[in-house]
Amino acid sequence: MSWRRWVPWFWAVVVAAVSFHAGILWWHDRLVPDTDILALLPAQQRDPARQRALAQMVEAAQQRVIVLIGAADWDDARNAAAVYRKNLAPYGHLLRAADGISDHTESDWLAAFKNHRLTLLTSEDDAALRGQAPSYWLDRALAKLYSPFAGPQPLAWRDDPFGWFNNWVLARAQETPVRPRAGELFVSAGERHYVVLPLTLQVPAFAVAGQQALMPVLEQARQAAQQAAQRVEIIQGGVVLHAAAAAAQAQREMSTIGIGSLTGILLLIWITFRSFKPIALVALSIAVGCLGALSIASLVFERIHLITLVFGASLIGVAQDYGIYFLCKRLGANEQLDSWRLLRHILPALILTLVTTLIGYFSLVLTPFPGLRQMALFSAVGLIFAWFTVVFWFPTLVHASKLKNRAVAERYGRGATRWPRFAKNRRSLGAALAFAGLAGFGGSRLTVQDDIRSLQNSPKPLLDDQLKLGKILDLASPVQFFLLRGADAEALLQREEAVKRRLDLLVQQKQIGGYHAIANWVPSARIQQSRRQLIDKLLLQKDGALAALAAKLGEGQSWVSGARTRLLAAATPLTVEEFFQSPASEPWRHLWLGRVGDQYASIVALRGVNRSNLTLLRQTASGLEGVEWVDQVSEISALLADYRYYMGWVVLLSCVAVFVLLYPRYRQSSWRALAPAALAMLLALALLGIVGQGLQLFHLLALMLLLGIGVDYGIFLQEQGSHDDGTAWLAVTVSAVSTLLSFGLLGFSQTPALRAFGLTMAIGIGAVALIAPCFRRATADAQPPGSLG
Amino acid sequence: MKRKAIAVCLSLMVWPLLGAAPVAEIQAILAKPKVLCGRFDQTKQLAGLKNPLRSSGRFCVVADKGVLWRSLQPFANTVRLTRDEIVQWHGERLAMRLNAKQEPTVRLINTLLFSMLAGDLGQLEKYFDVEGVAGDGAWSVKLKARDAGVAKVIGAIALDGGVYVKNIAIDEAKGDRTRIVFSAIQTGEQAITSEEAALF
Repeated sequence: MSWRRWVPWFWAVVVAAVSFHAGILWWHDRLVPDTDILALLPAQQRDPARQRALAQMVEAAQQRVIVLIGAADWDDARNAAAVYRKNLAPYGHLLRAADGISDHTESDWLAAFKNHRLTLLTSEDDAALRGQAPSYWLDRALAKLYSPFAGPQPLAWRDDPFGWFNNWVLARAQETPVRPRAGELFVSAGERHYVVLPLTLQVPAFAVAGQQALMPVLEQARQAAQQAAQRVEIIQGGVVLHAAAAAAQAQREMSTIGIGSLTGILLLIWITFRSFKPIALVALSIAVGCLGALSIASLVFERIHLITLVFGASLIGVAQDYGIYFLCKRLGANEQLDSWRLLRHILPALILTLVTTLIGYFSLVLTPFPGLRQMALFSAVGLIFAWFTVVFWFPTLVHASKLKNRAVAERYGRGATRWPRFAKNRRSLGAALAFAGLAGFGGSRLTVQDDIRSLQNSPKPLLDDQLKLGKILDLASPVQFFLLRGADAEALLQREEAVKRRLDLLVQQKQIGGYHAIANWVPSARIQQSRRQLIDKLLLQKDGALAALAAKLGEGQSWVSGARTRLLAAATPLTVEEFFQSPASEPWRHLWLGRVGDQYASIVALRGVNRSNLTLLRQTASGLEGVEWVDQVSEISALLADYRYYMGWVVLLSCVAVFVLLYPRYRQSSWRALAPAALAMLLALALLGIVGQGLQLFHLLALMLLLGIGVDYGIFLQEQGSHDDGTAWLAVTVSAVSTLLSFGLLGFSQTPALRAFGLTMAIGIGAVALIAPCFRRATADAQPPGSLG
Repeated sequence: MKRKAIAVCLSLMVWPLLGAAPVAEIQAILAKPKVLCGRFDQTKQLAGLKNPLRSSGRFCVVADKGVLWRSLQPFANTVRLTRDEIVQWHGERLAMRLNAKQEPTVRLINTLLFSMLAGDLGQLEKYFDVEGVAGDGAWSVKLKARDAGVAKVIGAIALDGGVYVKNIAIDEAKGDRTRIVFSAIQTGEQAITSEEAALF
């Protein structure tokens, strides 16, 4: 038959094409997986202002490494910091220290406000201005005059007689505990003085190559600084440290779990087939599957998300079944039977296994989540490619004479007949009742756990350092903040002021540490104007506090009018644009998103956010127009919950769909093919409930895979003929053990998501392999269509 | 005018000879009582005001505790500086309370002021270049902040005295000048009144 000739060649052309395409993707480095978790949100939920806000808050934080070098003595801390800096100096391509602070910084900083200072008031002074009698201001001015320890004042007395600007500058400085000191940034906590070294990463935080280069450099600098003086404390913090720790752990596990599972699989194949060729063949089918999936998915989607690749990699568990089944059947079949004819015999079962798995993935396409759709397409295409590789290439590649060792297969065959079988008897009823009891008990204890923080697995010292750093520097949360919108800059500033008024109360009640907002620096034009009018009316007129002050000081009318002119000259309106031209604005520019679409948007960031005040903060935004509370942590958790919810339904619907697909072939016995997978899933859920693991997305992703694999096993065993040669059971066992070795071992991973996935797979695959033979048909009624004669 | 010029010339000739301040020598002259109280007379000359502002009152420096500064004339105003806090009262009314947690420089400011009043040059030397002379039971020093930014704000500080600090002069770059003269100094536990002790 000629098609036997050209079909392998045809497939070779297809495989060459996708390999070429995947190669291009690889070499041209377009294959940078999307790691933005927001890309997984349904499209209508992706709001541009929100995305910009998060990008500015998170990405800025992502590329930053902050190092605190502390000692009881400031000079020790400085020396250690100098050593640290010197050690980093040669690695400017990885990490750059922020520019040192010059002598001019402070005066530059103040210069921006020179002509606007009169209307820059703290909230307390603003309230006093609106509520207090002029005599209050006279007292304040006099107290300030005579006070011996006013501290270094930014302005001469006559430029700030009531001390407003001084208070305002103090309040602005207090937005951070960090202070310039002798050319360094300085912060103190407990008995220690710390030098603050802000560093900027020059490589992406999540690029493994950069991490590998960076970590030894940081460690070496740390050790050198540690030796520079006695009892130096060094606290390092940054996203990259966590990313590097996670990558290092993944690598460690890859080499332990990975090598463990590889050796196990090789051993298994050798015992079964006495040849390594089968594993090469199965690997080939999987490789073609992955290449095909990558190529097609990147044609359909603009960017491939990391989570797609991770889940896609788990395809191997299903994709290997086709090859293993073919090989086991070949092993069991008569040598006279030509491989192409063998294929004809097993093709119905193979088609069924593919279709029943695909149906699950197609139902994922129906969910509104782009992430799930991408995963579904990737997986479905991968399976199709692996399947065609088996069907088009294996008959040509595997000749009957190649697989001869049947000793193991025969032993399996004998074993299969002795395995307990589910039937209408007491033993089966007892087993069913026990199982129902276990499932009921476990199921009733099952909880859900979608909190993204439960997936965090950074080493404890790293988390401790991060916590300490956050506490000492009193950093604003990068993932929880208010997002504000307004028609123009003025409307936006007015909305910020409305939020500020509510937050001031929370600060007073010590619910939060403080907040950062552009309106702290640039009051709205409305407020600036009203302050100017009030100050002029209440304080600077002939009967005002200024005149009373002059009388006390023995100054005349000309002094009053001169002072008034001077003060009012410093009340020109300050705009956001002008503020941004000043170096003082540099640490705060990320709060202002500016024009987004047809609106203006900005961020009000918060210090001292914790679990206990989240609800309070969310409520703070309510009722304020154009103010939105953003809590990225709970949003990602909510996203995971949504994904888990949809995934749960997909698994359930897939079960129904699989049954419908099985029915035309197996009729009344259809349930026998589905039952092992269904029971294994129930058992996995029950055990999760019993051990108290909250159900999350990764458990369900594993269940989905388990359904695909379990139904494959069910089909293989239903296809088993009356001349039971045990090859189907062999296929099931080989596939199950290799799946256990590849995915089950992930249950030992330290990464919570992988552990959840691995644990579910281990329970499920173990159970499905043990349960499936129980549902084989009694030999008497076994006569499936197309079975091997 | 001529005398002033001569004085300037003399000081110009003398200063370079001083070299590093004889800090150890001055420390030896200074008494280090646990409690030191006395009267202060402060004169401030502010830029833009014709008349100097005079105030007077009592002060106490208590080792390991801090400084109490009570203006009595022209009105009652009390400032208490402890290690971690600055508290100010106008009469009886609490006017300001600032702690090191809110404002990290509080500790530094308090340390410096305490050192200045107690004449602890060893501590001051950490932050200032100290130049001065000592001899015959008297001494005088000039302080210049090591940090150029701080120097710009604080300006020049001069201290002189004998067993205790007698005069402090602060000349700020903005043109404001402050002179403080200490007198009637008492030491020991009985120097501090019970009313004052209660404020710590």
